[in-house]
Amino acid sequence: MMRLKVEKIGEGLHPSEAIVSVKTSVGSERIVVSSRSIESGSIPVGWPLGTKDQTTLVELPRETESGAWRIWVPSDQLIEIEERMRA
Amino acid sequence: MILTDREIQIGLTRKQIVIDPAPRSDAYSSTSVDLTLDPVLTLFEIGEAAVLKVVDPTHEKYNIDAALKELTKSHTIDVKHGYDLEPRQLILAWTKEYVHLPIDARLAARVEGKSSLARMGVGVHITAPTIHAGFDGQIRLEIVNHGHLPIKLRPGMKICQLIFEQTLGTPQKGYSGQFSGQVAK
Repeated sequence: MMRLKVEKIGEGLHPSEAIVSVKTSVGSERIVVSSRSIESGSIPVGWPLGTKDQTTLVELPRETESGAWRIWVPSDQLIEIEERMRA
Repeated sequence: MILTDREIQIGLTRKQIVIDPAPRSDAYSSTSVDLTLDPVLTLFEIGEAAVLKVVDPTHEKYNIDAALKELTKSHTIDVKHGYDLEPRQLILAWTKEYVHLPIDARLAARVEGKSSLARMGVGVHITAPTIHAGFDGQIRLEIVNHGHLPIKLRPGMKICQLIFEQTLGTPQKGYSGQFSGQVAK
């Protein structure tokens, strides 16, 4: 599984939420996420959906402000994590 | 395929579904589980009716979070008095429960209203009911009173129900395969 680096840029409308900025291949996108999902400045995005040059297509846990679910991000914005086993 | 109450409970046990706090036993129906209202609401303050305000989502500088912060205020429902939702009023609200569907869970969910509230005109979402695999957080609700009388909202009341569906296969993002190891570690 992968995590995508994010930068927290504000509080959400609800105390449980945060607004984060994600670096994409063409700029940045803002997205509201659960504060619980942010760990060490990253959020979970599952496995990549495609790669092109030095960019990777990922699906975000929620829609961005512009309405996108899937975005191309510079590959160095992704961190591979160990998959946790479930019961 | 819609999950029954038994399958939902098995999913909770196996952590294929996370609902925190866990639903009480009376929160289930045969094919759904009720969620409750968080005390924090977001209320719209549109100001003077004589001042024209138009939201343009296509504007290059449109920022929905900034717009919502400018147009709304946070309100915590008073436990004793509740909050009276007026006819034609839109508010943003959240479920008290934190919900998480793991990315590889082969599940999705839909937020639906409660018929007991719907019959009085209360809708709890506007056109976007799907909870995708990978979602986590308290579920945002867009509550509108389409009825004729104010409706009293109280924290902890049953406000919506979740219906879980098994997906046909694992979504691409939950499928560990071809792109593993191609990014920085």
